Amino acid sequence: MKISLNINNQKYDCQIEPDETLLNLLRKLGFKSVKKGCDTATCGVCTVLLNENPILSCSYLAVRADGKNITTVEGLGKKADAIIDAIVNEGADQCGFCGPALILTVYALQKELKNPTMEDVNRYLAGNLCRCSGYEGQLRGIKKFLGVK
Amino acid sequence: MKFKNYAKPQNLAEAYQILQNEKNAVILGGNTYLRLNKKTFSTAIDLENLGLNFIKENDENIEIGAYTTLHEIETNAIIKKYFGDFFTKSLKHIVGIQFRNIATIGGSICGKYGFSELITALSVLNCTLVFHQNGVIAFKDFIENSQTKNDILVKIIIPKKCGRLSYKMLRNADSDFPILTVAVNKNSQLNIAIGSCPTVAKLISAKNELENISEFISQNFTFGNDLRATASYRENIASVLLKRALEETL
Ligand SMILES: Cc1cc2nc3c(=O)[nH]c(=O)nc-3n(C[C@H](O)[C@H](O)[C@H](O)COP(=O)(O)OP(=O)(O)OC[C@H]3O[C@@H](n4cnc5c(N)ncnc54)[C@H](O)[C@@H]3O)c2cc1C
Repeated sequence: MKISLNINNQKYDCQIEPDETLLNLLRKLGFKSVKKGCDTATCGVCTVLLNENPILSCSYLAVRADGKNITTVEGLGKKADAIIDAIVNEGADQCGFCGPALILTVYALQKELKNPTMEDVNRYLAGNLCRCSGYEGQLRGIKKFLGVK
Repeated sequence: MKFKNYAKPQNLAEAYQILQNEKNAVILGGNTYLRLNKKTFSTAIDLENLGLNFIKENDENIEIGAYTTLHEIETNAIIKKYFGDFFTKSLKHIVGIQFRNIATIGGSICGKYGFSELITALSVLNCTLVFHQNGVIAFKDFIENSQTKNDILVKIIIPKKCGRLSYKMLRNADSDFPILTVAVNKNSQLNIAIGSCPTVAKLISAKNELENISEFISQNFTFGNDLRATASYRENIASVLLKRALEETL
């Protein structure tokens, strides 16, 4: 099947299998920041933005992305830097496997929630699992970045 | 889940026709649970073009289209106005925001999953389901029988008028499956649903105040074992959660 989608503001015409996931397609196209972790809709490392909203690309069919806008962390450009710096400054970057998905989700959180509390932040990020940081450092950085009181 | 063909029909009749013609076709919801299925389907039917993503209100009811996502429901102003945080409480622990942005209300209902928190919540609200072929079916009938196999869920109708609501659940860890879920709607009668038993939620309507909660539970509900909890643990927890839910609806 042929589809045409926008990835990070660039148009891609792709040949896909009908049952291919968006995750597979993105990795085939070279967007290796999008990770295949659990592949059962649990861990969140495959998160991308679909028309600005975070979704699991492991569950989303590539064919459904036809004509839509996808953003991976590469597409955030400078907007990602401040989030990355905030996390790195707390020494919480660790292995980095969950990083791109976390950064995209924090970016979406900032757009969706006005004046979030720490409880809102924890709730919004609950679907982003990390196996090595223990979350504390990441959350300290994210709290500073978002200016949560 | 694998499938050979992908269809994006322009109307319900066309979608239904594919379901009738092919024994092995499947309707796509958000594909969050379906994707774990080991089968190969002939055709996956995508209803995205059919305008089934909506939350509307009329004089008496709220209508939710089958393709409305869980996150749209938990953040919708109309839903909040009539049901407060009842739906938010039943949805906010389901995996994460990335998941709830694609999982749909239709898929959550049609899967009839035992752990479904939305089914527990909807069970107490006297709602009805509208199917393309079978028409209007009471929510309880749908959950208890399966006469709608090979049909398409179009929308869910929830009466605006409801009593005091409460939703309680217990889970081992945030975003894990729940061990037990309880919903209460206290109006002129008491609607009590208990789910994740681990079987699907069951609704019991009681006329009066409950005199003995644990007796009510053991008489009306049965519990089972799974890797998250034993039947007897579930039964004990059910009394505690129901007591708390009833206190909240006083
Ligand atoms: C890792 C994981 C954790 C989960 N944790 C929880 C939890 O804690 N609590 C909870 O309540 N749930 C939980 N769930 C279940 C989750 O709520 C369901 O996966 C989700 O609701 C299914 O919705 P969907 O739109 O993706 O449906 P799909 O997976 O696309 O479809 C589900 C079924 O419904 C059918 N269907 C879909 N739409 C229609 C329609 N309009 N008409 C007829 N049939 C239709 C499909 O053919 C399929 O059989 C979890 C699931 C996963 C994978």
